[in-house]
Amino acid sequence: MGVQPVIVSAGFSEHASKRSDVNMAELMNEAIEDALSKCNCTIDDIDCFINGNMPAFEGANIPELWMTDHMGAKNKPFMRVTTGGTTGGSIAIAAYYAVASGLYDTVLATAFEQQSCGSTTVGLSSVALGEVSIYLELGYDYEKLRRNMGAGAAIGVGAYQAVNYMRRSHCTEEDLARVVVQNRHNAAKNWWTHLKMPNYTIEQVLDTPYISYPLRFGMVTPASDGSCAMIYTTEENAKKFTDTPVFVNGVASVSNETAIVTSEAGGVGQIDPCVQLGAKISAKLAYEQAGISFPEKEIDYAEVYSPFPNQELMWLERLGLFEENTAHIQYREGITAPDGDLPVNCSGGVNSTNAIGASALERVAEAALQIMGKAGNQSPKEIHTAIGHGWGGALNLITLSVLADQSRRKYKGGI
Amino acid sequence: MARLEYIKKQYPRTRRVHGNWYLSSYQYKFNVKRINQCLEHLRMGELVGLKCRSCNTVSFPPRLICPKCLKMPDQWIHLRETATVATFSGTYAKESGDTEIRPYPVVAIRQDGADTTWLANLPEGFDFFKVYVGMPLKIKWAEDKKGDFSDIEYYEPIEDPSIEMNKKEEAEN
Repeated sequence: MGVQPVIVSAGFSEHASKRSDVNMAELMNEAIEDALSKCNCTIDDIDCFINGNMPAFEGANIPELWMTDHMGAKNKPFMRVTTGGTTGGSIAIAAYYAVASGLYDTVLATAFEQQSCGSTTVGLSSVALGEVSIYLELGYDYEKLRRNMGAGAAIGVGAYQAVNYMRRSHCTEEDLARVVVQNRHNAAKNWWTHLKMPNYTIEQVLDTPYISYPLRFGMVTPASDGSCAMIYTTEENAKKFTDTPVFVNGVASVSNETAIVTSEAGGVGQIDPCVQLGAKISAKLAYEQAGISFPEKEIDYAEVYSPFPNQELMWLERLGLFEENTAHIQYREGITAPDGDLPVNCSGGVNSTNAIGASALERVAEAALQIMGKAGNQSPKEIHTAIGHGWGGALNLITLSVLADQSRRKYKGGI
Repeated sequence: MARLEYIKKQYPRTRRVHGNWYLSSYQYKFNVKRINQCLEHLRMGELVGLKCRSCNTVSFPPRLICPKCLKMPDQWIHLRETATVATFSGTYAKESGDTEIRPYPVVAIRQDGADTTWLANLPEGFDFFKVYVGMPLKIKWAEDKKGDFSDIEYYEPIEDPSIEMNKKEEAEN
């Protein structure tokens, strides 16, 4: 295997529902300034830029073309990666391979989203429009179809997963509310997050009306504006830039779609939306690369992509951190709190802050900062190994990065 | 902010790059004729699904490419009239002519004999809090058939023997 990639710094911009004080380029610049201020690296040291966002959500076509000057990327290699909801996770993997292949020494991985500029509904309707027109052609009643599509898009996928997860694990809505409350309390201690609610209670969550059964208004993720930047480099350069390098020991991305409605080759013929074979396979691949045999014992910190509370429980099980159908019991006992045995989403998670393109990169960034000891809501526990996970709607793509404070063990099999 | 000034100093001129985004150039073609056989059977009050010869996956409504092995399935097989709830959710909508927002069930069903799901309708006014995963349903055909999917008026809930069996097991334990 080639060069060992190392994360030296990660930065964020302030997140809010409407960042009308800045435009896209300035928003991006905020995160890059923050990332550069946390290490001895300057913009001249960067060899390559990797950027991405959810396409069409801002209504701007190829925003990189006018953002390059604000990123300091003039006359330097620039790569664009977009994979929908997992854009950030894919950017982290692209930056990993840009360094690991030996092509570039120092790579700046950035992701942003300014949803207040455009309409997310327009961006998402392009996903569903093809199916809708076919079903109208086949004689499906329009009124009924419109009603059924009401539980479509991201929240529909989340609701279907929640129904099947609750059926399997016998967890209640109170358990889901407990996950939300923990996330919002964590977000209040972090400077860059969106929904800061230090006094949120389970009763308040259960008082709000349903959006899509069983997800209530108080449980779902907000739509934020924000950006994130990370610096990847080689092991030798890292010694110059920082005292606390974080080693990226394994990456994986696997797609496994559960298509409920489709007309051509959509999905893998999987019926239960909460099986998530893709998460299991990606965990196996990434842990194998990182030399982790017992994830439940060896991993000290987890940042999972959970716009909806049931997903946080589901991913923790599918990524091998808890046994199947037991995650909600661990939440009751407080194991996942910042001072617990396995801290989860100390940043507040996607449930509190969701700048779609940047969300998955923020998970990796936050996991790295927890290992460095520089996070906004730092866990008092000593963290050696952490994971950053990403999930994207339409094709159910799952990305996973395994980070550690040490270089990987000698890997016997070849890649 | 010092870095921003540095950027401005270095590049006094900006470049203009022309770009267009022709959204109308993205085309998606779906040939309805290829599932005509299914529509003709619906007119007769029968259900057929497409079976893949290589992996035995049956899709209903027919998918033109097998989701598992990406081959073209060409074998039509008959399906039963019953179905089970694979997953469900509830949505809140305001119908035209309605003054209130009302809850409606959104139910994904798996036709018995098929391996794929699709969205189905329950009878008007059915309370979705009574829906559960694994609930058995039966087709209610429309009276005058047109030869498309509107021939299936809705799916009717039928008696579920598993509930009583579960109760018996619990009582025994």
